[in-house]
Amino acid sequence: MTTTTTHRPGTATARRSLSRSSRLHRPSGLPWILPAMIVSVGLLYYCIFYTGYISTLEWDGAAPLQENVGLANYAKMVQDSVFWRSLAHTVVFFVATFVVQVALGLVFACLLHSRLYLKTLYKVLIFIPVVLATATVAPVFRQIYAPDGTLNTILRAVGLDALAQPWLASGTMALIIVISVQIWQSTGVVFVLYYAAIGQIEHSIIEAARIDGAGDFRIIASIIWPGVRGTTLAIGILSAIGSLKTFDIPFLITGGGPSYATEFLGTLIYRVSITFSEVGYGAAISIVLLALAIGAAIIINTGGRRGESNV
Amino acid sequence: MFETRRISYRTLLQILLTILVIPFVFPLVAMIQGSLAGAGWDNYLTVLSVPLLPGFFINSALVAAAVIVIVLACTMAAAFGFSKLHIAGKEIYFWLLLAALTLPGVVLLTPLFATVTRIGAYNTLWAVILPVAALQVPFAVLLSRAFVDGIPDEMIEAARVDGAGMLRVFWSVILPLTRPIIAAVLVLVFISAWNEYLLALLFLQTPEQQTITLVPQFFVGQYNNDQTKVLAAAVLTGLPVVILYICLQRFFERGLAAGALK
Repeated sequence: MTTTTTHRPGTATARRSLSRSSRLHRPSGLPWILPAMIVSVGLLYYCIFYTGYISTLEWDGAAPLQENVGLANYAKMVQDSVFWRSLAHTVVFFVATFVVQVALGLVFACLLHSRLYLKTLYKVLIFIPVVLATATVAPVFRQIYAPDGTLNTILRAVGLDALAQPWLASGTMALIIVISVQIWQSTGVVFVLYYAAIGQIEHSIIEAARIDGAGDFRIIASIIWPGVRGTTLAIGILSAIGSLKTFDIPFLITGGGPSYATEFLGTLIYRVSITFSEVGYGAAISIVLLALAIGAAIIINTGGRRGESNV
Repeated sequence: MFETRRISYRTLLQILLTILVIPFVFPLVAMIQGSLAGAGWDNYLTVLSVPLLPGFFINSALVAAAVIVIVLACTMAAAFGFSKLHIAGKEIYFWLLLAALTLPGVVLLTPLFATVTRIGAYNTLWAVILPVAALQVPFAVLLSRAFVDGIPDEMIEAARVDGAGMLRVFWSVILPLTRPIIAAVLVLVFISAWNEYLLALLFLQTPEQQTITLVPQFFVGQYNNDQTKVLAAAVLTGLPVVILYICLQRFFERGLAAGALK
């Protein structure tokens, strides 16, 4: 954050009196931030506290019958193996998407900063998946991985019949597919962020390194990678929160199955609250999900800040 | 970036880039190919002749427009207030807002459902518009506050000395100077609103009220399992955002980059 202050010696007195008078006249800014606070903080915090309250209830979400059960929903959660599996999927999903996206995004950003042909076309192709709704592309992925779908047709056509399989019926494969769709959909964002960050690195440093005999890989490892550290951190936070928020992709492509193999916290909350009508239990998972999201943001942010001062 | 003086190396990089891009294009090609399988372009004619179809687009456009208006109005005023005006306990308000950045939409499920049904907003667009706007405001404020911080205080004081009130300062000084960030926020908010799925799925029950993200589902119901029609519908619903992205490419990238470089 930068604030530009210019100091002109001759106008110092004039400025001082000016700022004093304007401070006197300057009205409070509260009315200006009020609409945003009401719309956002008001609505969201109302929902959060309401969720916190519901999480202590045994309730189906509709009936007037609500029974206060204290922390029983949380106790139930700790013993629920599906909850722990969802959490494990989230961690695997985060690590896999983060590593692959950072690698791919960085390679794309470096390649597209080089003098190659048709760069705009490549950029557009990488970014189109970002703007498309998961709901729009989900039918295609189901079609690709269907037992008689595109992928199996291609495999059979090239004689790899042995590899053809009902992809979404295998738990591990389904999780890999969910992860790959996420990578497909958000590498464009990571790429754009890295592309902008690399654009801010002084070109002369790279030139100097090249004159000193550094090769492409050496330049990426010693100049680019440290230079985009802040961006990598931002991507880490975005991916961590994004992983915890994951809902659309598993919900629409695998439905959380087969047998909970692609269940995430988001889809679990939906299943528990809507399908099973155990609203109280769903709310308890929601509160934990929220705590994890805030915790992840704080940990990555403070960890990153501490590292930043050494650079 | 990469050394491209040797033609062989340059060709190698070009080939590498092309190979890496193929997986990103493949699903899009499969989508278009699938939508043309069987009856060919007639799939599109069949989909387009469904009388309810324009309604989905209109609803999505209404949701997106309303969300954009609400978010922009709240955000620009708040960015001005946070950045340039005196507010007691300002940073506390700001952190309250930022904490909401991490909020997963699915957490709002039950309280929203209970509230929406109670106040009779069920199956109306407002049940989607307000929560989506609420979820978008924190990030938009974060982006635009940083941008307004870059505007020198002197410009505001100069306008004040000339007799401008705060409203006038906001309208004639701040807004014209913040156009780039307004464009960026607009584009980002548009994608989120246009692509919102969960809230639409929950709160919009009749096809007359539904948005385009629910179209594939609607067509699965209509044509049983005729994938070609479903894919044709998917292509049609994806087309507006892709066209918009290609036209406004610059703003998309700038908006995203502005968010992360801060």
